[in-house]
Amino acid sequence: MKSMQAVTDEQLIRWVADGDASCLATLFERHHQGIYRFCLQMTRHRAQSEDLVQDVFMKVLQKAGSYRGDGSFKAWLYNVARNVTLDHLRRNRHALAAFDADAVDAEPVDTRSAEQAASGRQLAGHVAQALARLPEAAREVIWLGRFEFDSYEDLAAALGCKPGAARVRMHRAMQLLASEVGAIEGVTTA
Amino acid sequence: MNEKRTSNLPYDGGDAREADLWAALGELPLEEPGDHVRHRFFRELHRGKRAPFGERLRGWFGFSGNLGWVTACACLVVGVLAGRTIDGGPDDTARLDALESNIAMLNRSLVLDRLNNAEPGKRLQGVFDAAYLVQDDPQITEALLARAAGDRVTSIRSAAIEALAPQLSSPAVSRQLMTLLGEAESPLVQLALVDLVLRHGSPEQVEQMRDRVQALQLYPDLERYIDKSLGREST
Repeated sequence: MKSMQAVTDEQLIRWVADGDASCLATLFERHHQGIYRFCLQMTRHRAQSEDLVQDVFMKVLQKAGSYRGDGSFKAWLYNVARNVTLDHLRRNRHALAAFDADAVDAEPVDTRSAEQAASGRQLAGHVAQALARLPEAAREVIWLGRFEFDSYEDLAAALGCKPGAARVRMHRAMQLLASEVGAIEGVTTA
Repeated sequence: MNEKRTSNLPYDGGDAREADLWAALGELPLEEPGDHVRHRFFRELHRGKRAPFGERLRGWFGFSGNLGWVTACACLVVGVLAGRTIDGGPDDTARLDALESNIAMLNRSLVLDRLNNAEPGKRLQGVFDAAYLVQDDPQITEALLARAAGDRVTSIRSAAIEALAPQLSSPAVSRQLMTLLGEAESPLVQLALVDLVLRHGSPEQVEQMRDRVQALQLYPDLERYIDKSLGREST
């Protein structure tokens, strides 16, 4: 038997645009975990991130025809996810602030145990805390750059900017992160 | 459950401290979404795929595209002309034959258009319609063979194979279907081909197919299915 050759994301989204919505299921299987993690990093809230995953893929179904194929599908998908998430954050900013203040269900994303932190991974624990304190613009560029994209071209397409601007944004965000980690370490050692 | 997954994006913009932080980011735990996220998506996808009633109604009548409207208008004109002709002269059978032929031609164009439509639902509808025309029409037969051989939707391929049943006695069609048996990767398509020959093929075609299934070393279940259908199942 011949093995089935994997169909590319770009081909699948063209078929979705042609009316074959079932191809979206394959795209969902390939990407929903990454999208969930990105939304979770941005909202810091599991239930809202799960809702956003649905919103993102339904938006992809609606907008499939607007994918022009001049960049990777993944970059286009994360651009959609970014817009959906930022819209959500803008609409719910006050509610989220109140929610975080109550600290109900808004658990930190870092779920490592105290033993792990104590066994030489303290820096990563501080990084997780510092990342959560960063502005959304810095958090998104670090997360997407570190976990999702292999090139500044794709990262830039996801962020909706030029590769040079993505590089500058990454540099600034990492400086902010270093500053926050420094502050956390200062408090810890003091 | 956490899974480590990091990109290969080079971070080259900072000092050693930032490089350490970049490496430490890779140690962050990554959460998995629950299974209910997947279930909910499939429910929403199923709901989203259902078009509004009006749109479905237009689709059933083939009116959703421009060509559908053109065809509908042409059918209307032909119908009015047919009515006038019948009123005007009871003996004018030649003109009636010509009108019938025009309607058949329009119908055929509509079916061919549907068979090549970008939307899978339209193509499937085209396959069902083509099943009534395939007997006398080589072009429809060719279009069905193309669907059977190359449609990306397995159910359309299976339906096209089934629609070719009246043409199985044609040596050319039979030969192409046998070739397809060796090329089809999908077990569902292979099963549709086998089933077609078992139900509509001559004894010679059934034997030829059985030999081919054995020679190609396709799914063992297919061979067992053929033997069972022929009452030759070994115990």
